[in-house]
Amino acid sequence: MNRKRTLPDVYRHRKKICGGRGVSDVQGPNEENETEVRPEPARDAQASLQYLHNLFPIDKFEGRLPPIILRHQLYSLSPNRTELDQQLNDIIKKGEVRLFKLGTIPDEFALVFTEEYREHVRKFTSRLWDVPKTTIDKFLDLAIGSCLDVSLTRDDMINELGFQENEIKDLFKAGLLAVRDVGSWWLSVPGAGTFMKSHLRGRKAILLMIRKCKYKEILQKELEARKLPKAAKLGISYHIHDVIGADLVSCIDTTSGKLLRLNE
Amino acid sequence: MIRCLEERSSGLLLPTGVQQAVSTDRALAMQLSKQRDVEKVHTTPINSLDLDPVEMRYLISGASNGTIAIHDLHNVTGQPQYTCPLLCTVDRCSQHAHKYSVETVQWYPADSGMFVSSSFDKTLKVWDTNTLVPVETVACRERVYCHRLSKIATKHCLIAVASSLSQVNLVDLKSGSYSHILKGHKGAVYVVDWSPQNEYVLASGSSDNKALMWDVRMAKNCIFTLDQHNGDATRCGPHAVQTAHNGAVNGLRFTADGLYLVSFGTDCRVRLWRTDNGQNMLVNYGAINNVHEKCLSIDVSSSLNPEIVFVPHDSNIDMLCLHTGTKLQRLVGHYNDCNTLVYHPFHQELYSGGNDRNIIAWLPKTASSDDYQEHLKETKLKKGTSRETKKKGANVNLMQDTWSSDED
Repeated sequence: MNRKRTLPDVYRHRKKICGGRGVSDVQGPNEENETEVRPEPARDAQASLQYLHNLFPIDKFEGRLPPIILRHQLYSLSPNRTELDQQLNDIIKKGEVRLFKLGTIPDEFALVFTEEYREHVRKFTSRLWDVPKTTIDKFLDLAIGSCLDVSLTRDDMINELGFQENEIKDLFKAGLLAVRDVGSWWLSVPGAGTFMKSHLRGRKAILLMIRKCKYKEILQKELEARKLPKAAKLGISYHIHDVIGADLVSCIDTTSGKLLRLNE
Repeated sequence: MIRCLEERSSGLLLPTGVQQAVSTDRALAMQLSKQRDVEKVHTTPINSLDLDPVEMRYLISGASNGTIAIHDLHNVTGQPQYTCPLLCTVDRCSQHAHKYSVETVQWYPADSGMFVSSSFDKTLKVWDTNTLVPVETVACRERVYCHRLSKIATKHCLIAVASSLSQVNLVDLKSGSYSHILKGHKGAVYVVDWSPQNEYVLASGSSDNKALMWDVRMAKNCIFTLDQHNGDATRCGPHAVQTAHNGAVNGLRFTADGLYLVSFGTDCRVRLWRTDNGQNMLVNYGAINNVHEKCLSIDVSSSLNPEIVFVPHDSNIDMLCLHTGTKLQRLVGHYNDCNTLVYHPFHQELYSGGNDRNIIAWLPKTASSDDYQEHLKETKLKKGTSRETKKKGANVNLMQDTWSSDED
């Protein structure tokens, strides 16, 4: 029986058979628990968010960034992406988490907890003397509080939210808006440049690491033990979730843990 | 399984329930078949496959050099080991053959006596299967990427033709010429498919990232454009048009009940749409590589419990759950990119063709096929007696010792 029995239950109410797979499932986490805490295979979006949130090394950035989670990282924690998307949408609608567009890759979105974002923006802009505090507060109240989109057009800003041209200029200067197109802006996390820099460096480094391995594949455990270059501050497990979720590598279950193989 | 049968006997389960469960189990156990292969004929990449809709017996294939071949899939030898024989070919050298790559071949839905092929040589040919001579040749102005006949049509016999002309042409078989043109795309149309529910409804996908749904009786415009953001304009930018994908749409397939449409684009995404209002179901299937600038066939199973979508992913075939988007299986076997595949709904088999010039049969792995493999191994060991077992053929009970012990 080499065929994986992780398939849907076609006959309904199948009893759990204590086969080879079941046993390894029970033993696997226990063994690993001794060394480190690992995510359980299936979890909901909230738990996944929390897990990834804790994975983000805030101290490495000296508190200059809120924990930023990439949306596709969540996909590495659950096989059912559709369900995850739905749960995530609910969380976003509740306003607990904000979606941001960082970088140029389409379909790549970042998530930041709304409260942490507000705090971060206040802290960040307090150092800027030429941006009036009222504009920032207005932005946080209106743009972050009421509207849930990742981008705003000039129409939205002026007519619906009641911003002035010079206020928009100030927000842009403070890094809260980033240019998307003529008359349209992405909402942005101020200081996200440092994040993007280390994120892209780290991703490149980890992919290179896997590429250099024999058959372009490596055990996840083995990869976790390796070190990333200094410029990539985010930590190896953060990047592992990133490359799995972005479908840059594929996961293969083996008897000695997860194997990551480069997709080409 | 036993519980399933028990429930059936007590009337808790509908008769179709058992059928569904068994066929789903079979479909999920699909793997590269050790027992069946398809006779090799093609010397160039295979672009299109189709099963005849009446008996699901004859497999037609079209290749890049203009060759069309027909194989017989029915195994009447009584032996599990079977090579599907070639019945006939339209060879490249034949005067009737297409000059350039055959992009699509399709059987006439009501009868296997006729099939239609289209090619990059800007023609669409209607063939008589028995004589292998085209009875009708329709000249198109541009390269034809795909054509489709409606499988349920009773009131019309239109062939929808997708070409690089940025419009869908409808060819009427009755007159052998264009009946009308559907305008709406701005780039080459890569793929079309008729709805299996409504004979007048047609979907088309194009290189301008759009997928449109048409009613061929409507003179004015398409019914609706499929919009990946469901009308949420801020996601696609201020000046954006409604698009189905962020890349060319080169695979389209209706589900067997006609309620959903699956689309595949060069942005490496598969999307599921409702066909009544064009809503994106937002099923996330993950990234599936797709770089082909031509029609790529995907297929959807019918009457299984979680319905399965078969999507070519480079040289592999991914089996995805239609409604949840989870990856169920990956079929690994081709040596090069897979271009086309066709699902056999009666026997839960899959046939696929690709750039490695092979047609591969994917069959469910069953207990009896395992036993047969073991049986083969054992007979190989006992060489002298193997001939005897072959002779008996159909009557062989696989579980029984049938060889004599002369040698011992």
